Amino acid sequence: MGIRFILMVNKQGQTRLAQYYEYLTLEERRALEGEIVRKCLARNEQQCSFVEHRNYKIVYRRYASLFFLVGVDNEENELAILEFIHLLVETMDRHFGNVCELDIMFHLEKAHFMLEEMVMNGCIVETSKANILSPIQLMDKAS
Amino acid sequence: MDQLKMIGRELAMGSQGGFGQSKEFLDLIKSIGETRSKAEEDRIVLREIETLKTRLGNPNTPKFKLKEYLVRLLYVEMLGHDASFGYIYAVKMTHDENLLFKRTGYLAVTLFLNEDHDLIILIVNTIQKDLRSDNYLVVCAALNAACRLINEETIPAVLPQVVELLGHHKEAVRKKAVMALYRFHQRAPGSVSHLVSNFRKRLCDNDPGVMGATLCPLFDLITIDVNSYKDLVISFVNILKQVAERRLPRSYDYRHMPAPFIQIKLLKILGLLGNGDKKASEHMYTIVGDIMRKFDSTSNIGNAVLYECICCVSSIHPNPKLLETAADAISKFLKSDSHNLRYLGIDALGRLTKINPEIAEQHQLAVIDCLEDLDDTLKRKTFELLYKMTKSSNVEVIVNCMVDYMININDNHFKTEIASRCVELAEQFAPSNQWFIQTMNKVFEHAGDLVNAKVAHNLMRLIAEGFGEDDNIVDSQLRSSAVESYTRIIGEPILPSAFLQVICWVLGEYGTADGKYSASYISGKLCDVAEALSTDEIVKAYAVTALGKIYSFEIAAGRKVNLLPECESLIEELLASHSTDLQQRAYELRALIGLDAHVVANLMPMDASCEDIEIDKGLSFLDGYIQQAIENGAQPYVSESERLGMSNISNFKSQEQHEFLTHSLRFEAYELPKPSMTPQVPPVLASPTELFPVSVPYYHTEVNYSTTPVPSISSAGSSELQLRLDGVQKKWGHPSYFSPTSSTLNSDAAKIQNGSTKPDSVGSANSEARHVSYDSRKPQVEISPEKQKLAASLFGGASKSDRRQSSSSQKVPKNNSHAAYKSHVEKTATSDTGAQKTSQPPSDLLDLGETTGTSILPSLDPFKQLEGVLDQTQDPTSLNTGGFSGTDAPDIMSLYVDTSLRDQGNSTANLLSTVNDSSSLLSGFSDATNRTGHGGNTVAQLTQKLSEGPNHKDSLEKDATVRQMGVTPSGQNPNLFKDLLG
Repeated sequence: MGIRFILMVNKQGQTRLAQYYEYLTLEERRALEGEIVRKCLARNEQQCSFVEHRNYKIVYRRYASLFFLVGVDNEENELAILEFIHLLVETMDRHFGNVCELDIMFHLEKAHFMLEEMVMNGCIVETSKANILSPIQLMDKAS
Repeated sequence: MDQLKMIGRELAMGSQGGFGQSKEFLDLIKSIGETRSKAEEDRIVLREIETLKTRLGNPNTPKFKLKEYLVRLLYVEMLGHDASFGYIYAVKMTHDENLLFKRTGYLAVTLFLNEDHDLIILIVNTIQKDLRSDNYLVVCAALNAACRLINEETIPAVLPQVVELLGHHKEAVRKKAVMALYRFHQRAPGSVSHLVSNFRKRLCDNDPGVMGATLCPLFDLITIDVNSYKDLVISFVNILKQVAERRLPRSYDYRHMPAPFIQIKLLKILGLLGNGDKKASEHMYTIVGDIMRKFDSTSNIGNAVLYECICCVSSIHPNPKLLETAADAISKFLKSDSHNLRYLGIDALGRLTKINPEIAEQHQLAVIDCLEDLDDTLKRKTFELLYKMTKSSNVEVIVNCMVDYMININDNHFKTEIASRCVELAEQFAPSNQWFIQTMNKVFEHAGDLVNAKVAHNLMRLIAEGFGEDDNIVDSQLRSSAVESYTRIIGEPILPSAFLQVICWVLGEYGTADGKYSASYISGKLCDVAEALSTDEIVKAYAVTALGKIYSFEIAAGRKVNLLPECESLIEELLASHSTDLQQRAYELRALIGLDAHVVANLMPMDASCEDIEIDKGLSFLDGYIQQAIENGAQPYVSESERLGMSNISNFKSQEQHEFLTHSLRFEAYELPKPSMTPQVPPVLASPTELFPVSVPYYHTEVNYSTTPVPSISSAGSSELQLRLDGVQKKWGHPSYFSPTSSTLNSDAAKIQNGSTKPDSVGSANSEARHVSYDSRKPQVEISPEKQKLAASLFGGASKSDRRQSSSSQKVPKNNSHAAYKSHVEKTATSDTGAQKTSQPPSDLLDLGETTGTSILPSLDPFKQLEGVLDQTQDPTSLNTGGFSGTDAPDIMSLYVDTSLRDQGNSTANLLSTVNDSSSLLSGFSDATNRTGHGGNTVAQLTQKLSEGPNHKDSLEKDATVRQMGVTPSGQNPNLFKDLLG
């Protein structure tokens, strides 16, 4: 299993989206999120987009006020994950149009649906934006 | 409030359709978004929890409202608060007919619950139903949930449907079904093993999405069992070719790269399949080469694919052309300004140096730059690279760098990792005793409590054992230098507990061995430690035992012992300690000092922590005593199994009584045995009444009975009488007692270790040329001499430093460096042994530190095999006797209940002889005890022979026990011996 979790956290350290592909208790999640965000916030733009934390490797990317953090295990290609984050953002951008933090907050479940299409069981399963978005568009139309 | 609701409803009906949100929701999100502090956020969430609790319970809540509440519940939990009160509503929502509500319900359930939650059982049925739905989106939602929530027990409930869905007409369903099956395979491989072939089938799916998803399970399957999938090599290569040739729909393109994520996955799989397989690798060369040529260096994703190609190339059977391309790519990475690319470059370099060590040398300055970079991630990666390229010529530089880095970081996780790497490298490649001891001191000083306890035991064993060969001078030098450095360090105010334990043990064992330090000096130091650490009982215990050793060595040497006043007071204090272990040790110490020299010399033999010990667990040395007792009319011991067998044939009534006895204490005297049983009572038996009062002295004699190997004699009556002894033998046979079966690292094993120093075959002229070219590539960059020096020591090693200078100054003639190189060869050659060559492939001329003896040693270690036979599962760290861990004292105490004087010394041999000694001293009984009384191993062996017919396993166990010694052995540091000797 490559991807262990995907987090979106703003620069105040507030979680905006959290998806874990392995079970962690509420306390563990809270602690983990706090530690990771502190670590990533302390880094500057020039430094690597990868941070090791405990036994995870965190790949992160910042978009305006929002950090996208993906925790992966050792097998994963870090640079590819970095681009995967961008693909996720592009996909959301296509759906919401100029996506911002508030879009994700107001449509948390939609953001999750997109993730569900892209990642299953910790693996990237879909990278075609059309395929990712079609079920969501269908659902929009139906209701 | 009503008004608000109205507005909310209006909004919900508004432009956004089903995704419409109420005013209330918008306000909540806005307020969460606007919070500036965690406390404020918590207040909002807590208020929200109260609201949701009342709202969710209302049965008249409209569905779209309920969905909104669920999303709000998601917020509650995402922001770190417990939302379990609402889980059931999420479960309910999955039953909804409306797709959006259903999917939201499933989403909430997957986010809230783990697969072992009680509510899962309520969802399985829904999933089952939804998997059969006509609406493929419903099926997809159910598969998503199945992927998260189905556990091992519930797999059979949905498995048939999931398998059926693998052939669904919608590609999205097939894709998700593949992933669900994959998940089931992860959870319970056994339950779906017959369905694994489905993954192969799906690989040929028409839809690239399904094919791409299938690569995930296949990757896992291939990782587990490469050989079963070799037939797919050509398929994978063809797929990769098609992807690279842009045969996939354009929608999979990312940044003008054709399906890069699928390419990366395929390259990973090819890397696995081609590893060590020339034939399979040959199929891959063309396509991997093509991709590497065509790569797009301007985009991240292009570099990601390139990096994956390098990984693949370094994993499959080497191809010179591809390796060259890979090396070029690495140098591009390393020269990049982007830290991300440099990070990948360093990582790739680490992979490639395994195949071609020269590559690292080409990039030495880039590596040094990364090492000195402020970016911690990059630095850490570089340390990983250095770790991989450590050899005996550069170990000092590398380990020193690592130790310096370790001292400065706070993160315990990484500190531990780096510390254990330092230890590993130091053990493998240490160039000298002094250096090794000093390095270990540094590591322990700064990360002592983080490193594995095993490391401390390894160190102790190493000092105790020396290096497995007959060179006693070297061994004692090592000990002396250890003692010397420890006497210096012990004064430091704060030392980690693990380190102090090592110090105490070494000082106790060898503090006075070379005569440099007096007993009172060492014991003074030990007392200081014990006093300074009033809370650390383990260190105290170590210190007290060490004191005991120091004094017994003195006594044994015939010198008069004068206890230091602080030592006296320490013993006094410990005699009243709350810790029974410490008390015990203090009493022993005091008793020990009172004994005469001859006894003490046997109790505490000098430098005997590594001696082999034989444990006579049958206690056959008591045979004589037992014989005597039986002759005097005592009852023989009846083993438990036979007693139980007896009670079965004995009459019903007595059985009842037997049961009654086991359930409660019995206060009246025991019954006389039934006359019907008398035939079973052997003639030697005296009147059983003798045994009725169960008092302490009888207990002792019975203990001895229990070991008597006379199983054929038994009586039901005695079985009742001896109930109290049930389990005595068993207890003694408890695994924790026999655990010291781990092995001494004997010299045989030590000889098989592979060499650490193989000459570097890099031609000096060659490297000179390369060096020049490197310079010419970067003529404008000024390289500080310091950096160059570091680089030279890292990459060139000691022998090559001359050469390095020669190439930079261009003055020293070539043969000079050649000579140095030759001398290095000679030096290392002398340290080589024949065995080395068998363990290291001759083709590997360039020693890059990756091949170590550790992997070879265990397989050759006969004791390990023995342990395997015995099927013993104890943790080797717990194998030690009192001298090492105070915690197993209870075990030993239960062994020797009647021994007031017990040796907590370094070895069980001591323990055994102490028992014998003390028993002969105290009660002076039986010639058997006398026989073993002054016994070293030979006596124990003798007595062992006396014990009758041990079964096969028994004898094996005993054999293993022989290997037992004071310090936990493990074959982890074979090369140290070699290096230190060489």
